[in-house]
Amino acid sequence: VPVTVTDVLPDDEALRRARRERVLAEMEADDVDILIIGREANARYIAGAPRLWIAGSRPFGPGCVLVRATGAIHLISTWDEGIPDDIPHDHLHGITFNAMNVLQMLHDIEGASSAPRVATDGLTPGSAQLLPKAFPVAEIVDGEQLMRRARRIKTPEEIDAIRTSVRLAEAALESAESALRAGQTERQLTAVFMEAMASAGVTTPTTQDVAWITSREHPWRRSSRDTPVAAGDLVAFDAGVINSGYVGEVGRTRAVGEEAAATKRLFARWDELWDRLLEMCRPGTPLTAFFDAYDAAGVPLPPTPVVRGLGLGYDLPLATPALPRSAAEDRLEAGMVLALTAYAWQEGLGAAYGQDPVLVTASGPELLSTISSRNC
Amino acid sequence: MAAAPLSRIPATPDIGRMHRERAERVRAIMREQGIDALVLLGNTNVVYTTGAIWPFADSGRGNFEQPVAVVLADDESPHLFTPVRPDDRLRDVLPSDHVHGPAYLDFDEGVGVFADQLAELLPSGAVIAFDEWTHALRREHTILFASDTPVDGGRVISRAKAVKTADELACMRAGLRITEQAIAGVQARVAPGVRQTDLTATFLRAIFDAGADANILDPIWQVMPLRMSDGPWTTTGDLACPLLSTERELVEGDVLWVDTGISYAGFHSDFGRTWIVGRDPDARQRAQFEKWQSIMDAVLDVTRAGATAADLTAAAIDAAGGVKPWMPHFYLGHGLGIDSAEMPYVGSDIGEAFDASLVLAAGMVLVLEPIVWDDGAAGYRSEEVLLITADGWEPMTDYPYDPF
Repeated sequence: VPVTVTDVLPDDEALRRARRERVLAEMEADDVDILIIGREANARYIAGAPRLWIAGSRPFGPGCVLVRATGAIHLISTWDEGIPDDIPHDHLHGITFNAMNVLQMLHDIEGASSAPRVATDGLTPGSAQLLPKAFPVAEIVDGEQLMRRARRIKTPEEIDAIRTSVRLAEAALESAESALRAGQTERQLTAVFMEAMASAGVTTPTTQDVAWITSREHPWRRSSRDTPVAAGDLVAFDAGVINSGYVGEVGRTRAVGEEAAATKRLFARWDELWDRLLEMCRPGTPLTAFFDAYDAAGVPLPPTPVVRGLGLGYDLPLATPALPRSAAEDRLEAGMVLALTAYAWQEGLGAAYGQDPVLVTASGPELLSTISSRNC
Repeated sequence: MAAAPLSRIPATPDIGRMHRERAERVRAIMREQGIDALVLLGNTNVVYTTGAIWPFADSGRGNFEQPVAVVLADDESPHLFTPVRPDDRLRDVLPSDHVHGPAYLDFDEGVGVFADQLAELLPSGAVIAFDEWTHALRREHTILFASDTPVDGGRVISRAKAVKTADELACMRAGLRITEQAIAGVQARVAPGVRQTDLTATFLRAIFDAGADANILDPIWQVMPLRMSDGPWTTTGDLACPLLSTERELVEGDVLWVDTGISYAGFHSDFGRTWIVGRDPDARQRAQFEKWQSIMDAVLDVTRAGATAADLTAAAIDAAGGVKPWMPHFYLGHGLGIDSAEMPYVGSDIGEAFDASLVLAAGMVLVLEPIVWDDGAAGYRSEEVLLITADGWEPMTDYPYDPF
């Protein structure tokens, strides 16, 4: 469990250096001279500076710039609190609402006028027209791909950070689970989780959809968040926190009241599925093997990913039935941290859902969660 | 600052009517601009056009599971491609054959699948506008994505959402009430020895209990330095704000600048006040508040439909004795709605020419947030949420200024 934090501090220097070296190596591999980042998780990976957490996606806008030749970082931050000392004051740029000021900032970056290749991790129609004005000779290329490659294998320091986040998520989840009883609503259970999380000193969730009553009629739908939990309901919890930028997530299902025999049988099916999935978490496993594991257990695949990478937010790999070709082309590697999902639904009963963080090591899977997700 | 009561806002919003009116506005702008289809990835743009409501995730997760809206000029109902389980209220606003599984527009394979789905909805050669344009979308060179840079679809939504309908205002007022109900519990807890994160814990518990869909930013309970030079270095040479909350314990006499907001029914709320920990304000602090009130009164005197943003900034500067009474990295005021800060921006670094050209319209919701800085004794900042009307404005909230 982390120590009490009363100052806004940059990420640890060793962590920052290791991450930055990976990004610079990938920039070199793609022959990218300047990398422009809009996504907060990518910016955190490169700069190591905490910034204000805001829920939801944001359109692309330059928030962080990395120059390959010098390793220099430019960051959008009006102040220097929490900024690492390797980002000097003249590389900090204030918040702006004016596209011309953004253009000027990019234009003034060293090498901007002659850079042949500039990468971004996203675009908008507006920024696509603006960027050539700042980088007159550059080809604008995909920087999200190189960031995904840099981020997919975790450093030992990153794995430690994820472990800490998982502990925090588990502790807050226990509070929410202990509040589960007939009459509570999904919102009220979310409220208990959020209060416990913030009381532990972490105020940023990964998801705010913490609890849901699994449907008896449909494999994936949900009812209103104001529906009271009833005896016999299977209630799923998605507990996730962001601590020092890193995700800790666990998913669990709890039966309300006495477990019926049919519920016990569903949980047993889930356990069997889980064992098959976990066994697959070894270097070299093709991602399609996880689909095969569902098939072998006789459980239909859920519409959402069954494997995705965890780190600063979500990472690769990604195994979802919606992207079968991508799954067939990718294999697990040692050092990946996976959010592994087992989901089994039964009509008239509801769903058994569990998600756990799993570290892929040379010798096999290592669970990063401490509270067992097994139901039987 | 007396104003007329909220007269034109229904007690209960008609959600169906709200979505019909929105769809008409969006499609009218599309027809005017010759756009056949809008493809929207931004969370708030998807909420606005489809009526789907889901609690927003951390952005690092949100980018991997991003609902997508497709609005067609010749179809009154938009299509939604969603990886998240939306609230059941969606069934009231979208036909079931317009709700699809997830579209992964950040992956080449996902874009290929999506292009095929679009081809079933649109004729070839259709003009498609996007709010965001991932590199995977950019690489797709089927006929549907033929133009080099697409039309900016985000601007369509910016225009459509600026003026709120009566039903939208009813939703916004409900969200503001949830926020202020939660804030009342937080304010009661402020005392020496309480951590900033404890205030967040109380706030988060209360908003979800009261029906919020989500928290939208890590709440700010910033302890202001007495002198600006005691705070962090800034690019502007001015105040650093908002700074992140930590487990720092409050101390008697701390001046707290509070800034927070939630999401309800697709709308964001905003709240800002100044509190003092464990003490009543002293004479100097009361004088700051009185000056802040006089600035707010001066701005409100000129606030009405037809006024420009420059009219408001001029009134504020005049009342503040010739200086800009707001932080240079922000603004005197901003719009509020589907986004927590949206047009109209008043006094931002977009510049004075822009402010002179920006005309307020009846039905806009504006948040005014002037500050008074009194170096050596910190300062005062509060936010007022207003509805712009033909002859002036109406307050959207009535939260007190205690302890002032």
